[in-house]
Amino acid sequence: MMRKVILLLLLLCFTAHTRGKLHSPPAKPGLTSCRSPEKETFTCWWKPGSDGGLPTTHALYYRKESSETVYECPDYHTAGENSCFFNKNDTSIWVNYNITVVATNALGRAFSDPVEIDVVYIVKPNPPEKVTVTVMEDKGWPFLRVSWEPPHKADTRSGWITLIYELRVKLEEEIDWEMHLAGQQKMFNIFSLRSGGKYLVEVRCKPDHGFWSEWSSTSYIKVPDYFHREKSTWILITVFSTFTFLILMWLLHMNRHNLKHCILPPVPGPKIKGFDKQLLKNGKSNQIFSALVVPDFPPATSSNYEDFQVEYLEVYVRREQELVLEESKDLHNSCLKSESSTSDCDSGRGSCDSHTLLMAKCREAKEGERQTDRECSPMRTEAQRRLKDWEEEALNYAHAGIVSLEMSSGRVKTWPSVFSPLPRYSSSPLDQQSSLQMAKQLSLSTSSYLTQPGHSTKEALGQSYWDLCLSSKQPHLLNPPTPVCRELQAHSDVNISSIGHKRAPAGPRSPALHTTEYVEVQRVDNKDTLLLQPVVQGCGRMGGCFQMPHGEVYSKVKGVDSDNVLLLQREGMGEDRCPCVEQETNEVTGSCHKSCTVSTTQKPSGCIYTAVPVRDEMATMANGYVDTATMCTLHTC
Amino acid sequence: MNRGVWAVLLWPNLLASSVPLDCREEQGILSRCPSISQEKLLDRVIEHAELIYRVSEESCSLYEDMFIPLQFQRNQVGYACITKTLPVPSSKNEIQQISDKWLLHSVLMLVQSWIEPLVYLQTSLDRYNAAPEMLLNKTKWVSEKLISLEQGVVVLIKKMLDEGMLTINHSEQGLLQNGVQPQMLESVMRDYTLLSCFKKDAHKMEAFLKLLKCRQTDRYNCS
Repeated sequence: MMRKVILLLLLLCFTAHTRGKLHSPPAKPGLTSCRSPEKETFTCWWKPGSDGGLPTTHALYYRKESSETVYECPDYHTAGENSCFFNKNDTSIWVNYNITVVATNALGRAFSDPVEIDVVYIVKPNPPEKVTVTVMEDKGWPFLRVSWEPPHKADTRSGWITLIYELRVKLEEEIDWEMHLAGQQKMFNIFSLRSGGKYLVEVRCKPDHGFWSEWSSTSYIKVPDYFHREKSTWILITVFSTFTFLILMWLLHMNRHNLKHCILPPVPGPKIKGFDKQLLKNGKSNQIFSALVVPDFPPATSSNYEDFQVEYLEVYVRREQELVLEESKDLHNSCLKSESSTSDCDSGRGSCDSHTLLMAKCREAKEGERQTDRECSPMRTEAQRRLKDWEEEALNYAHAGIVSLEMSSGRVKTWPSVFSPLPRYSSSPLDQQSSLQMAKQLSLSTSSYLTQPGHSTKEALGQSYWDLCLSSKQPHLLNPPTPVCRELQAHSDVNISSIGHKRAPAGPRSPALHTTEYVEVQRVDNKDTLLLQPVVQGCGRMGGCFQMPHGEVYSKVKGVDSDNVLLLQREGMGEDRCPCVEQETNEVTGSCHKSCTVSTTQKPSGCIYTAVPVRDEMATMANGYVDTATMCTLHTC
Repeated sequence: MNRGVWAVLLWPNLLASSVPLDCREEQGILSRCPSISQEKLLDRVIEHAELIYRVSEESCSLYEDMFIPLQFQRNQVGYACITKTLPVPSSKNEIQQISDKWLLHSVLMLVQSWIEPLVYLQTSLDRYNAAPEMLLNKTKWVSEKLISLEQGVVVLIKKMLDEGMLTINHSEQGLLQNGVQPQMLESVMRDYTLLSCFKKDAHKMEAFLKLLKCRQTDRYNCS
């Protein structure tokens, strides 16, 4: 029994299960949405629930806000399935609708949740229509013009519904859209297009209180290819600049040599006279250096001093050096020689202020020469005695007054021919006669200078002196009598170069001079006449003037005869003293100098006067010393 | 952005006096009342209505976001509008059938019926603790603008309909007392109801006026 009941129950359950779904009342439907496209009609859609296995019907009921009357949906079909369409007559604006959907089947009903709607707020218009896109140009730049129309149902003309529009654009190959809000206008321009691109355009609209419509159908547009005006300009500029650049390069290439010279100036090569680079390259050094050798250089001992172009020499003798000089004639000679050989003075200041040098050299030979000096001193008187003899001989010679030149510090200011340096004495004994001879020679040579300024004899002045000195071993003879103030400041304007030194014949020996009288050469005028002034022994400076000749014997240069002999005249004592007190300040130097003009007619003592007009332009007085011994020989008194 | 533009354009109206000038009675003094054409006046009125609607819509959504979070509450306000008793056309068919005179009068009724409630709304919102200032400003602005709209409509009526000055009788509008819903004692719901109802009525005004304008220009094509 029990088993049968159980079996029956199982059968019932099984049959119930095999029948499928269980019948049940329908599930609750739900309103999905209600939409009005133009604010004049609207549609509601619902979604039905499970029907419970039985055929279910749905009904939509609605109630307006101000009344309790329930109305059923007037149109179930227009809008499709599960929809209810409210037409114009049934649609009230600004009125709340309470809508409910009811599902009914055999077993029961199901009510959906009520929905309150106001048509005004559920407006979702249709998409805009007649969307047209055209390509237009704006000063060569293309742009898209999109125009459309509102959905035909929406009554925007009367202002019943106000729509705002929005469009979107993108290139065909892109993903993201570019949105543009157009407002209430029905036309829109799109700029900044890509040349040759294909664009897609869509438009949608929305009422001021509602939902956005769907996007309109896509419009395709292809932008034509256009050339960037900017690009063309840039291309033009590039081409032009390239052209210019090429031209510049070409010009530089053509002028590269000049440019090279400008930027990297060539290093000047050696410009040695006679130097041949090719010879150097060839490697024959002998030939090169032989070419370098200038035949005239270095000047030989007998080289002419004319090359030096010295206008005048200044002999400057310092007081303190006088004693030294006296006793070291050789020294001086050597000094002079060295000086002359080394001096390049073209200013006339012969020694070039190499006082110390000269002195040093002088001192070196000083001791060596002492003995000779002493030997010479006794010769003095002897020389004087021989003056007469010499005088005769001197007639044959044109002697310029041998003026001993004291060069203490080597500052030669004197006319070289006139001022004889301290004679250099050789080892051989020198007669006074020989010295006189030398003096003659010297005077001869000197006179030659005087008369022939253009004399081209190339004889070093020093040479004559030296010759003279050689002839006599009496350096003292040529020494100024007084060691004091033996400043020789003779500026000779005569070009030394013009002074040709005759090489005094080594042979003739002038008679030994025994006198130690000297004549100062005051001036040498432009006519190459020499004014001599006898130097007084022991003269001292007076008032800045040079030594006052107060010696007994002094000579004047009388003149130069035709044989180019400087005639010296021994002036009378006292009378012919040069008024050396007179101080004439030369314009040029302003130094005191004596300007003793000796007139030829001054002393009719029978002496031959040789007057030498003084050159006024001479800067300073030339203090030349003429060996009175020689002058005495000339004396024709 | 459009609303902002409207607000900027119409801001001088905030200072406008609310008493319409009576220019017709004073014949001699023409300079005192600068005349304006009917079309321009209608356009101005429409602009006013549009702006009022936009501002009211913004206020309502502000209020909704802040105080009415639930959707079901938002749906309940439809029944409590104070102006539902007014004989205002509510469908397009009705509106199309109604005359211009009735359109204008409807607008005027609406405007006049909302002046007082908005003042009440203002006071109510001021009592709030967390009411945003923008909301308060908007509602204040709307209430002021409504008054100027009323003046405009009155003048429009006088011009278009050649009617005499309608007396502005606010004392008759005791709608607020009538519209008190016993179930909505909460101030929040009451205020929200006011805002949403006003928003709807503002839209009504705008629609009526626009339709009126369409009729002025092209009577037969206006739907």
